[in-house]
Amino acid sequence: MIEKYRIHLLVGFFGAALGFSLGMIGFGDFGELNRMFTFQDLRMFFTFAGGVAAAAIGFFVFTKDRPAGARIHRGVVPGAVLFGAGWAISGGCPSIPIVQLGTGYTPALVTMAGIAVGMRSYRLMNAKYFHFDSGACSV
Amino acid sequence: MMDYWPWWAGALALATITVLYHELIGRRFGVSSSWERVVHWKIEKAAEEMDAQVLADKAGFEAALREATMAEFGAPEGGDLLTAAPPQTAAKPAQQSAKLPLTASATLLSMILVGSFVAAVMNGRFQLRADMGPDFADIVVNGPLMWPTLFVGGVMVGIGTRMAGGCSSGHGMSGCSRLHPVSLLATSVFFGTAVAVSLLLWKVI
Repeated sequence: MIEKYRIHLLVGFFGAALGFSLGMIGFGDFGELNRMFTFQDLRMFFTFAGGVAAAAIGFFVFTKDRPAGARIHRGVVPGAVLFGAGWAISGGCPSIPIVQLGTGYTPALVTMAGIAVGMRSYRLMNAKYFHFDSGACSV
Repeated sequence: MMDYWPWWAGALALATITVLYHELIGRRFGVSSSWERVVHWKIEKAAEEMDAQVLADKAGFEAALREATMAEFGAPEGGDLLTAAPPQTAAKPAQQSAKLPLTASATLLSMILVGSFVAAVMNGRFQLRADMGPDFADIVVNGPLMWPTLFVGGVMVGIGTRMAGGCSSGHGMSGCSRLHPVSLLATSVFFGTAVAVSLLLWKVI
């Protein structure tokens, strides 16, 4: 029984830590986000870049295995373009609408509905037309 | 109202979460994959139950694999795969399942909400409102056009993150810090696009 809840406790802790940190950093604040992307204020840019650099050091020090990343397929670039544009417009990344909602911005629910519709339609479109294979397999 | 964290504090927090999550849970930290699974709740739940059934019956699973392999490639000399010589290449160690339990994905998303609410109350920014704030109104759109804009933006994020295979946490934080080529490519493209669109919104529109 304990074992069953352990994963929830762990994952829940990380979710809360992420939501708290994003809120304290200001990623849920659309003005801050736009000032980062337009280089008017580099604080959050350094937060992101510094976070990547610190995580790189952390992985280098603590982790022995070096799992490979996913495959590069033809969908990566157009997908990233769509995501980047959507992020700039709605501020959703996609944990940010949750953070916006937690800060009291109720219209973020509409962004979240959009994300849900987008993900569902992507899975259908990918199965029918694109057939992109990220090389990830769960079994 | 409390100031936002200085860059180094935020960087340290994000890095600690990314690395510790990987060390303790053994999977890549990525929010969009949890989103994707919660969004496809019914399908994912059925798949999870099927996985559990299949893995519970190990002998049956292996028999089915053997049968399917023989159906596809024909029986080897000697009649049965079981009696045939084992392959020369050493089998790779079994990988841990790449997926969280579905309910844990839901826990992750709900706790982001809780964490951000606590942060907003603590730094004095919590305010229940029916708009996205003055900056959004200034920079993007003001009035009822906000609704379709947010929805379309969300759809773009939903399609884009799944097509690119990750978001700012999965590709940006987890992937870039391990120098995965696909993550470096995706992150530079989505960040570059976000910069271009944000400049357009700020200066032109």
